[in-house]
Amino acid sequence: MAVTYMRKLEEEPETYDSNFTTLTNGINLEVHNWVLNHLKESKTILEVGCGTGILASKMVNNGRSVVAIDKNFQMINQSMLNFPSDIDGTLLYQIGTFKDLPVPPNSQDVIVSTFMLSELRPFEQQIFLRNSWTALKQEGRLIIGAEFVPSGFWKIGFKLNRWRYKKKLHRLSLKNTYLVKWFINYFAPIGFNLVDSKKWNHGSIQALELMKVDEDNSNEPGYYEPPQKKYRGIGSQFRIFRCTLTGQADRVPIEPGIYRSGNPTKNSPIIVTSNYDFTYIKVMRNLRHIDAWVLCVDSNGINVWCAARGNDFGNEQILEAVEATGIKNFTDQKTLILPQLSAGGVSIPQLPKKSEKFPFKIKFGPVWSKHLPQYLEEKPNKKPDYMKLAKFSLSHRMRAWVTHTTFLLRKIFLLPIIGFLAIFVLSLPWINKLNWVAELISWIIISNALIAILFPLSSFTRSFIKKGMVFGFITSIVLGGISWLLHGSLIFILLNVILFFWIAFFSTMSFSGYTMATSPREIQEEYSSFKKINKFLLIIGIILSIIGIIIY
Amino acid sequence: MTELKSDSCCSPSTSLNQLPNIRILIDQKLCTGCGLCGEVCPFGLPQPIENGKYKISDVNLCTECSACKRNCPVDAISMYEQKGCGCLWDARQRIKNKGSTNSCCN
Repeated sequence: MAVTYMRKLEEEPETYDSNFTTLTNGINLEVHNWVLNHLKESKTILEVGCGTGILASKMVNNGRSVVAIDKNFQMINQSMLNFPSDIDGTLLYQIGTFKDLPVPPNSQDVIVSTFMLSELRPFEQQIFLRNSWTALKQEGRLIIGAEFVPSGFWKIGFKLNRWRYKKKLHRLSLKNTYLVKWFINYFAPIGFNLVDSKKWNHGSIQALELMKVDEDNSNEPGYYEPPQKKYRGIGSQFRIFRCTLTGQADRVPIEPGIYRSGNPTKNSPIIVTSNYDFTYIKVMRNLRHIDAWVLCVDSNGINVWCAARGNDFGNEQILEAVEATGIKNFTDQKTLILPQLSAGGVSIPQLPKKSEKFPFKIKFGPVWSKHLPQYLEEKPNKKPDYMKLAKFSLSHRMRAWVTHTTFLLRKIFLLPIIGFLAIFVLSLPWINKLNWVAELISWIIISNALIAILFPLSSFTRSFIKKGMVFGFITSIVLGGISWLLHGSLIFILLNVILFFWIAFFSTMSFSGYTMATSPREIQEEYSSFKKINKFLLIIGIILSIIGIIIY
Repeated sequence: MTELKSDSCCSPSTSLNQLPNIRILIDQKLCTGCGLCGEVCPFGLPQPIENGKYKISDVNLCTECSACKRNCPVDAISMYEQKGCGCLWDARQRIKNKGSTNSCCN
């Protein structure tokens, strides 16, 4: 069971309820009953994310007044069909979202939301809690049912199941829902007490009853600040290694929110960055305890440059971070210092002009966080070249080599390698061919090292197909030489040379994302030719190499 | 490079359709020389010319990241903006999904 598959079920509102009940093994109905039992004497109820309106139609009895909102127009249509005929109260279905609850402040006894939390990103969950707090009466209650990550042993099964459904959604070109990881930490700082809760399926589905408290009578909900995360020491060094090894394949998000470098005060600057673990550690280390507020926006655990180009670091994320964290209350500074590479996603002219909600102006800081201390000291109006140019230097290329090679071995070559091993092990007399697999792996590593080190050699052309050909030739010569030293057979080299060429050609194309040497249009235009050449080289290369394995 | 007849064409997209080989262009009539494009371009392509206005120095090096166009306060920059990143895997994803994105870098 995995709630994430509701993304698919939502496409057909008519069958949504029965399918969703099947998906959760009926637990959704138990959650509904739990919610109904906890409504007690409440008179005014708001349901956020009402889906097909079933729960709202059950809640409306006993003279209650229910407003049920959903952002999905088709769901609201379906809700109208589920509108109960024997109504004892008032019920209103309407389009709306948690961002703008359609009720006045201090007006609701209860706010209900089931299976919506996993549709919201961390900041959105915080905004939802804050908006609910405002809409609730004193001691009003927020009743939530949602999918959570279970703890301990059950986490493994949960993750596996979720992974399976993620693949399924991916094939349908649908997005996965979000993991509700940190929600439990949010409600106390924002101003809720946990009154009651129930777990199903070892905690993979939970229902919570939260009560609004306003201890200091401020009539304002609080803000959540994530616990400080370590950025020095052996543990964080391992986190750096992990990101270097998995950079292209995995997102590594940390909690978005406000972090503190040194002891920031009301006069300290605000540095904005992404919530990729690697980026966070680098920025914090480079700030060297300079007093500053570090605002990590929710870029989905992706680095600044990629997130900016992939709609994960733009105006939307900045506005959301400013609203959810209450950063304007922490400092008198009215300038947000953004990483320069986020400019591919952020648009200053389209941000709201100085307003109550967004009282900031934006400055683009240096490309590299190592220049932040100098930037903060000098606050240059025009940055010197080294602060604003993104050079793909040798040290960057070496790290890119590690990241890219592990990506290739894991995502592209893992299955073929296992396949070859299986074939060779199963046909026992061939056991001495196992070293061919070891050679294959070293070919991949060496050819990628050549590409990374010698990349500037190919700057005479923008075409990655041509670059791939260049590195194909270089790699063929180098690997041919190594093969000669190992085996001393010209025929064996000739039989493998197409495969050498292909590995380097394919790797160069795959390396394009690191290089900042091509544009979306150029690479998309090259893609269809790449596909043809790639297929041709691969087929010939494999056939010749297999002949080589057999006769040698 | 041909001069753009900015009074005869109404929007940046039409003008670019007439000049399909120009990837990015700063309209000299609109440019105020504020220099923000030069501050955001990671390749330092917008460079000031004699009259204090800015010009793209080497069009071929542009990765179409749109940073300058997005942030130009007077909307003086026209460019083709193709969605996506300059990355083979992103291109593959987009061509497979016919332009709609699912997830990049994952």
